[in-house]
Amino acid sequence: MIEALMESAYIKSLPFLWEGLQVTIAITALGLLFGTIIGAMAGLGKLSKSKIIRGIWTVYVEIIRGTPILAQALFIYFGISEDLIGINLDAFTTGVIAIAINAGAYIAEIVRGAVYSIDKGQHEAGRSLGLSKRQTMRYIIWPQAFKRMIPPLGNQFVISLKDTSILSVIAVHDLVYKGKQYYNATVEVFETLVMVCLLYLCITIPLAIILRRLERKLDV
Amino acid sequence: MYNMISVKDLHKYFGDLEVLKGIDAEIKEQEVVCVIGPSGSGKSTFLRCLNLLEEVTYGSVTIDGEELTDRNTNINELRTKVGMVFQHFNLFPHKSVLENITLAPQKVKGLSAQEARDVALPLLDKVGLSDKADAYPQSLSGGQKQRVAIARALAMSPKVMLFDEPTSALDPELVGDVLQVMKDLAQEGMTMVVVTHEMGFAKEVGDRVIFMDEGIIQEEGDPEQIFDNPQNPRTQSFLSKIL
Ligand SMILES: Nc1ncnc2c1ncn2[C@@H]1O[C@H](COP(=O)(O)OP(=O)(O)O)[C@@H](O)[C@H]1O
Ligand SMILES: [Mg+2]
Repeated sequence: MIEALMESAYIKSLPFLWEGLQVTIAITALGLLFGTIIGAMAGLGKLSKSKIIRGIWTVYVEIIRGTPILAQALFIYFGISEDLIGINLDAFTTGVIAIAINAGAYIAEIVRGAVYSIDKGQHEAGRSLGLSKRQTMRYIIWPQAFKRMIPPLGNQFVISLKDTSILSVIAVHDLVYKGKQYYNATVEVFETLVMVCLLYLCITIPLAIILRRLERKLDV
Repeated sequence: MYNMISVKDLHKYFGDLEVLKGIDAEIKEQEVVCVIGPSGSGKSTFLRCLNLLEEVTYGSVTIDGEELTDRNTNINELRTKVGMVFQHFNLFPHKSVLENITLAPQKVKGLSAQEARDVALPLLDKVGLSDKADAYPQSLSGGQKQRVAIARALAMSPKVMLFDEPTSALDPELVGDVLQVMKDLAQEGMTMVVVTHEMGFAKEVGDRVIFMDEGIIQEEGDPEQIFDNPQNPRTQSFLSKIL
């Protein structure tokens, strides 16, 4: 019975798909790391008093949110790096940049929204006690805003993970790409795709559970 | 006695809307001044100009000899001299009662955690909430929250305390405890400016009542004089509505 299972097309695809999964995870992790940094900067930039800073970040956010990620990835890979600048970015690096820039725009809105949602009275209470703007942000506004960011951030992380699959069009060897390679060679299309989806779920479901726990724990 | 607050020809605009139309006021050390007036008359704006939560459009505000509107004044330092208590408490919900009180002494005055505790605990005792040091704001009643907010402001050892309708968001049965704390504070000689419609408090504790309407001080005087024998028709009409 176990032997039969081990011999099945489902299990046999695993070692091959595993390589793709590693790439998917690496791009997601790196992309989100940079995406979160960009998003925090952009989100706070959109709350800036300066019209110019606000304007620049707004343009960035609107362009990214208004165009599909597939077009963005192609743009970075072929449009900018190859055609415009003439360097040859490898597919993996392009993937990380595409995810970072894309997630950054959505994270910017999450950060801005969370900070904006904190009652104005909190800011006034901090300032009236003599705290500087920066201290008020750091000790009063940010910790409260951060809690509110966690559910939508978790949501965005899951979306970005799934978004990496479109990178297979620029030949990033991610999970979907490896899946296609595998069923083209073995013709076990159904079995391979079942395993591809299961592998995604192996990450997204635990992530959702962890997030729900975290939300409950942070709800002081 | 010495003028703790001195306001000269204070004007405040929000865009084109002139909310304060030339306020002149002097508040002496240890004086308790109550500000009354209809909603929208500029009472909160006036109070908020006294610690620059609102930018002054023109005119001058001097607190304890320092001019707020002077560019060279360190606003953060000056604000530590002016405690403010808000209608909706504005406690920090992510911090315990004790942390609410110790945050500013630590971050602004540079006290150690232990020193800040030593400042906070007697204040909590003073407002009758020693047993709530480790509680979080959401578990407190409105009256308790407001008393914590008063202790938080006092922890910076301010020279002046501003109260903006401190009891108007409270259930009637909780008002008394907060007013008692304010009364004690007045008796200890704190200089206080209180926007309130609590007539009993104004009569018992107030040294002076200012009636504001349409962005100017319409009438001021002893509490008895204002409440029992108002001269200005606007004051008369306002008092007849709230009494
Ligand atoms: N931040 C603001 N922006 C624009 N208008 C404001 C602002 N704050 C207060 N106002 C206006 O100023 C007037 C006085 O408000 P306020 O000082 O709060 O009055 P009060 O405390 O006496 O009820 C009102 O007409 C109010 O709408
Ligand atoms: Mg008001």
